[in-house]
Amino acid sequence: MSAVRTERYVEESRRGIADPVLRRALSGLQERFGRGTAEAYRRLPEGPGLRQTAHAIREKAIANLDLLLERLAARIRANGGEVFFAATGEEAVSYCAGIARRRGVKLAVKGKSMVTEEIGLNSVLAAQGVEVVETDLGEYIIQLAGESPSHIIAPAIHKTRNEVADLFARKLGIPYTTDPPRLTQAARRALREKFLAADMGISGVNLACAETGHISTVSNEGNIRMATTLPPVHVAFMGLERIVARLDEYEIILRLLCRGASVQDIGTYVSLIGGPRRPGESDGPEEFHLVVVDNGRSRLLADPRFREMLCCIRCAACLNVCPVYGRIGGHAYGFAYSGPVGAVVTPLLTGVQRGRDLCRGETLCGACKDACSMDIDLPRMLLELRAILAAGDATWGVKPEGGLERNVWRIWAGLVSHPGLYERLLRAGAVLQGLLPRGVAGWIRRLPPPLSGWTQSRDFPPLAKAPFRSRWARRRREVGRG
Amino acid sequence: MADERKERFFLDSLRRALGPPPQASRPMEDLFPRKPSAEDQRLLGAVSGRSEREREELLRRLRAAAAPLHLQIEAVVDLAAARATVLRLVAEKSPEWGGEKQLVAWSHKLIESLDLAEPLARQGIPLWMTAPIDPGLAPEAAAEERARQRARIAASFIGITTADFCLAETATVVLRSRPGEPRSVALLPSIHIALVRRGQILADLKELFALLRWDERYRGAGVSNCLSLISGPSKTADIEATMVHGAHGPREMFLLILPD
Ligand code: SF4
Repeated sequence: MSAVRTERYVEESRRGIADPVLRRALSGLQERFGRGTAEAYRRLPEGPGLRQTAHAIREKAIANLDLLLERLAARIRANGGEVFFAATGEEAVSYCAGIARRRGVKLAVKGKSMVTEEIGLNSVLAAQGVEVVETDLGEYIIQLAGESPSHIIAPAIHKTRNEVADLFARKLGIPYTTDPPRLTQAARRALREKFLAADMGISGVNLACAETGHISTVSNEGNIRMATTLPPVHVAFMGLERIVARLDEYEIILRLLCRGASVQDIGTYVSLIGGPRRPGESDGPEEFHLVVVDNGRSRLLADPRFREMLCCIRCAACLNVCPVYGRIGGHAYGFAYSGPVGAVVTPLLTGVQRGRDLCRGETLCGACKDACSMDIDLPRMLLELRAILAAGDATWGVKPEGGLERNVWRIWAGLVSHPGLYERLLRAGAVLQGLLPRGVAGWIRRLPPPLSGWTQSRDFPPLAKAPFRSRWARRRREVGRG
Repeated sequence: MADERKERFFLDSLRRALGPPPQASRPMEDLFPRKPSAEDQRLLGAVSGRSEREREELLRRLRAAAAPLHLQIEAVVDLAAARATVLRLVAEKSPEWGGEKQLVAWSHKLIESLDLAEPLARQGIPLWMTAPIDPGLAPEAAAEERARQRARIAASFIGITTADFCLAETATVVLRSRPGEPRSVALLPSIHIALVRRGQILADLKELFALLRWDERYRGAGVSNCLSLISGPSKTADIEATMVHGAHGPREMFLLILPD
């Protein structure tokens, strides 16, 4: 598993918010994609309701996962490919490392893949002396910079052209230029060498089709097609949920994926791969391996509250509309997955307790559900997570939170059911609040501890001089007299 | 084997997680049908019964979809015009990585009928034709042949392929893998030229998949070992969201459409 830093959410969020370059990049991204996606759903020939159809297709696939995966594996094996089922990230990584050892792999080229990010593949291969090169331009940039991706689809969104210019001048030895076409050309040249020399190609899987026995990859750059065509070995990693039953269903999900991910009707390169090259073919890998990764997913499957999350295809549309992601950026989420999808899936995969701030950071505004290409009810699951954190949950290893919140509510309940006491307290409060600093329209700027957190970034309305109950009673009397 | 045990364990744990489903009533015919659905039938009918006017319309839609993707469409009247177009491109464009002009093309009837070899030879421009790897070759000899083909493909600035189909709605060229038609011809050269007949234009992915699943002419090879759907030249917007063509794959792509 790659490093989990979810407990630093608050601190990292602060950092994200304080970074004006990041803020500008993110708002540009959300501006472009957020609206565009909604428009793209509306323009679907079937109408935006296709998202609900897609949801049903995904739910059916998830409910029949065992059958689908068996069929997929049988087909791929019949075509001469290998399929490995990895219960944990470690198993998946060591399977791949084993192939690399057996084949004497020195250089591996990689297409963007969130699941390999999740299981921490690169560092293990590197420790074994394999040079692993990320080939998606954005991933390549952040790999050169020694960072981690901050967006599922646009991993280098947080980098400016000036930073890329510096980086390429330093690492690729090219003359300094901030011109994106020239920078792209420099990466193209450097990576072409790598593609042609690589001993292994590594990719993720956007979606598999059980009926025909194919995995598929989508890219605009062509890097995944390179990585899965040129090297003699192709290892593809997929989360166990990334599958649908039939090709016509695949078609629907693919269209929504491309719209949700980048407001395209279709990605430039979509490949459906069913095994290694056939005898007589002069290119394509001679070995093809599919690694199906569980790594905690079957726990989501077993929990009816969270099974829906397995419908996710990691299109990132929810990131592009999330007001929280748009302010704090992807690194704050402390793991491979960021934004609303990360706020749900990361704690479930890496520990609900330590990732407790992620679900609390999201606003429950519902924008993610409306944007989700698979119509997943993310806000519902964010709430479920909060409920688990409050009440404790044995399945997810969460102890109930300290009694503070519960006790506060208990006291509150006691107060409101004793009107006399309640009113006396209100009157006392109305007098005492005179000691507190006031802001606009007399609102309270700072509450004393332990309530001070509430007014850290917002004001608090003052208590009315006369409580509503007594004003109400007075009005009734006046009206009665008139 | 340990792996087999592991696999059984893996799938069993999925079944446990799924809980006691209506196992017996799981819809196998829905998951993996053996007969085309009514919708599939409709799609197959739409393809086979397409009128000349509808085909015109498809071509128009293809052009409209191709323009924003920088996929350049040339509808040519005959083989001679197609040959002229290719030769014009060869003359106009220069190799991205320096060196001499070289071309590579699939050995395919349609490409051979363009008779490109002779006019190119007159200009001293090599045209490499790919070929299937002879299954009778010893492994080392086969590996050498593969390496030779790859070197030629990588050295060529233009790659010429045909296509199985082309999809109007998304301006997509559909390539199914087969011996003699290396995938990298549409990938490594800086310019990709694809040739199709008008009759190969389908409306969309739905029609394509209906044909691959159910039409007797295509379902044998079906999706094939590697189906490539290519919609325009390679592109990226990873540096400050500026669109640049030619990230890794071809920088330019041309689709030549010949009459049937
Ligand atoms: S939750 Fe929905 S929108 Fe977000 S990545 Fe998953 S499928 Fe896409």
